[in-house]
Amino acid sequence: MAVFKAYLKITKKNGWMILMYLAIFFSLTVMFQSFAGETEQGYSAQSVPVGVIDEDGGIMAQSLIDYIGRTNEVKHLSDDEEALQEDLFYRNVDYIVRIPEDFTKKCILGDENLKVTTVPGTYSGYYVEQQITNFMRFVRSYAGAGFTEQEMADAMSERDSAEITLVDISGNAGIAPAYSYFYRYLPYLFLSVLGYVMGYILMGVRRGSLPGRMRASAVPIRRQNMEGLTASGLIAAGLWGVCTGAVFFMYGADFLNSGRAHWYLLNSFVMLLMALSLAHLIGTLVKTSNALSGTVNVVSLGMCFLCGAFVQMDYLSPGVRKAAQFLPIYWYESVNEMLTEYSAIAGDVLTQALGGIGIQLVFAAAFVCVTLVVSRERRA
Amino acid sequence: MVKIENLVKRYGSLLALDHFNIEVKEGEIFGLLGPNGSGKTTAINCILSLLKFDRGSIRIMGEEMTPDNYRVKREIGIVMQDVAVFEELNVWDNIDCFCGLYVKDKKKRRELVEEAIRFVGLEDYRKSYPKKLSGGLLRRLNIACGIAHKPKLIIMDEPTVAVDPQSRNRILEGICELNRQGSTIIYTSHYMEEVEQICTRIAIMDHGRSIAVGTKEQLKSMIKTGETVTIEAVVLGEEALSDIRELPHVFDMTYSGQTLTVRCTGAQHNLVRILNYLQNKEIPFGRVFSELPTLNDVFLEITGKQLRD
Repeated sequence: MAVFKAYLKITKKNGWMILMYLAIFFSLTVMFQSFAGETEQGYSAQSVPVGVIDEDGGIMAQSLIDYIGRTNEVKHLSDDEEALQEDLFYRNVDYIVRIPEDFTKKCILGDENLKVTTVPGTYSGYYVEQQITNFMRFVRSYAGAGFTEQEMADAMSERDSAEITLVDISGNAGIAPAYSYFYRYLPYLFLSVLGYVMGYILMGVRRGSLPGRMRASAVPIRRQNMEGLTASGLIAAGLWGVCTGAVFFMYGADFLNSGRAHWYLLNSFVMLLMALSLAHLIGTLVKTSNALSGTVNVVSLGMCFLCGAFVQMDYLSPGVRKAAQFLPIYWYESVNEMLTEYSAIAGDVLTQALGGIGIQLVFAAAFVCVTLVVSRERRA
Repeated sequence: MVKIENLVKRYGSLLALDHFNIEVKEGEIFGLLGPNGSGKTTAINCILSLLKFDRGSIRIMGEEMTPDNYRVKREIGIVMQDVAVFEELNVWDNIDCFCGLYVKDKKKRRELVEEAIRFVGLEDYRKSYPKKLSGGLLRRLNIACGIAHKPKLIIMDEPTVAVDPQSRNRILEGICELNRQGSTIIYTSHYMEEVEQICTRIAIMDHGRSIAVGTKEQLKSMIKTGETVTIEAVVLGEEALSDIRELPHVFDMTYSGQTLTVRCTGAQHNLVRILNYLQNKEIPFGRVFSELPTLNDVFLEITGKQLRD
């Protein structure tokens, strides 16, 4: 098992590099996950502090205040210019609406607009403005229909706020589980670590007269290859084991009870095989450590950016997505997205998931074939 | 131990080995001497089955050598021309790795590795990586990797290239010691001094052929040159040159840049005769050298060119 041991010893020599990549990967995962946690929440109504100066005091003015108050926090303010500016400056309120005297006559029956003040460029301003516009549209239509002020106020109080019912077609309530981010970034780790480790090993065994010395030895070349492949497999399996262990440690029951754990494991394992075969190809082609470093960086970062590992697929342009289909990581990420979106993998989703995994295997086989051809050409 | 008959190897239109024949007997240090490009490394690669050859046969220890003859390969140790070690492994691990290609037993291997380290004098460098070793130490590691499993036949392809004199001497002494311990050695080099110093029999190669084979004494006796006399800072006219050429036992003479080189057959008093002539004619001269024939003379006389051309 001399070749097997040599492979493992060379890997051990690169231990610090592997640890560094693991550290980068876990840091990135935790960082992106926390960002995503802040931004990718479900829909909920937003409450904005709204200041109201009621100069009218009539039924319709109160109706408007009640309407705004359904979803916002209404604060009654006195008409003091300086105090109003301070309230806006210190964000006590985001929006101030002034209801003029004779509100019904001037604004509902007439064309006068409500005077409002807001912090420029804030979304909350648009949000409240939209609600006021809605109110005005409704009451104007009621007024046109001949409603009295009391009837209009009653109609507005009976009108419920619009309700949106989300259909949970995926069973996830639209929320991506935390471990999905871990699996999304995993290709970067596998491609980088395996690319470097296998590259260094294969460059090492190909250096100078070493292949001659190995071929002239008492161990058949086929056995040497088998020992090399076994060691490569063990290294890759070790990496996969560390990552899988980390998932269990970090997400534990959430992951195991998701009902999709075995799919995540299968998809990541097939991607690992693909990454290993690609790493063998890179290691067979490159001749110097500088070339190896450049190639591994371009391949790992390039694929991860183009195939939706670093940037979610939805943000990629159709052209990029089409081009990415010629790269194996795209299919890994496609399956991953399916696993994130759907709680149950069945029917068409099952077919698509199996198709994605199958395409990754085809890529792995293609890389193995090219590697064999290159090696054979080189020996000849 | 090794018998090569009519070996022919072509690289396209280039004939690298042209009906190459040698026979190496057990217990010999057999030297393959020839200039760069004479076919030494090609012959070695064919012996090791690293290269396919077009015609001929190679038998080692009575068996035909083929790429799959691992029984024979188990008894062979190789020291390549280029240092062939793993840069990522330290001295001990390198030797252990290559020894592991021949010896499975871990305990025995540990002993052999230690022995090889002591043999090449790398005791203080067990944990050093090849990049930290000097050229000489690296060559010694290269040798240790090839001999650790105590092979019966050791093939060394120019193991002293680019090595300092101290390391070279140590390596040459080591080769003799290996031979004393029972290994048969095939040693290729283009340094005739080394080959003369350690080899029991020598094959001189040129253009892929072995043009002469024998002990160094046998090789030297094959040629006409018995003594070469060189006289520096001497001014000679046509008459004197003609007289010297006519002296007894002189068969070749060159005169260039006030340096006279006279080649004589193996008779006695050649130097005295030439110096007497110069003194009688009152011709002043500078330093005088007299050399017995070298393998370079053998090569020169057979091929008409210097070994290092």
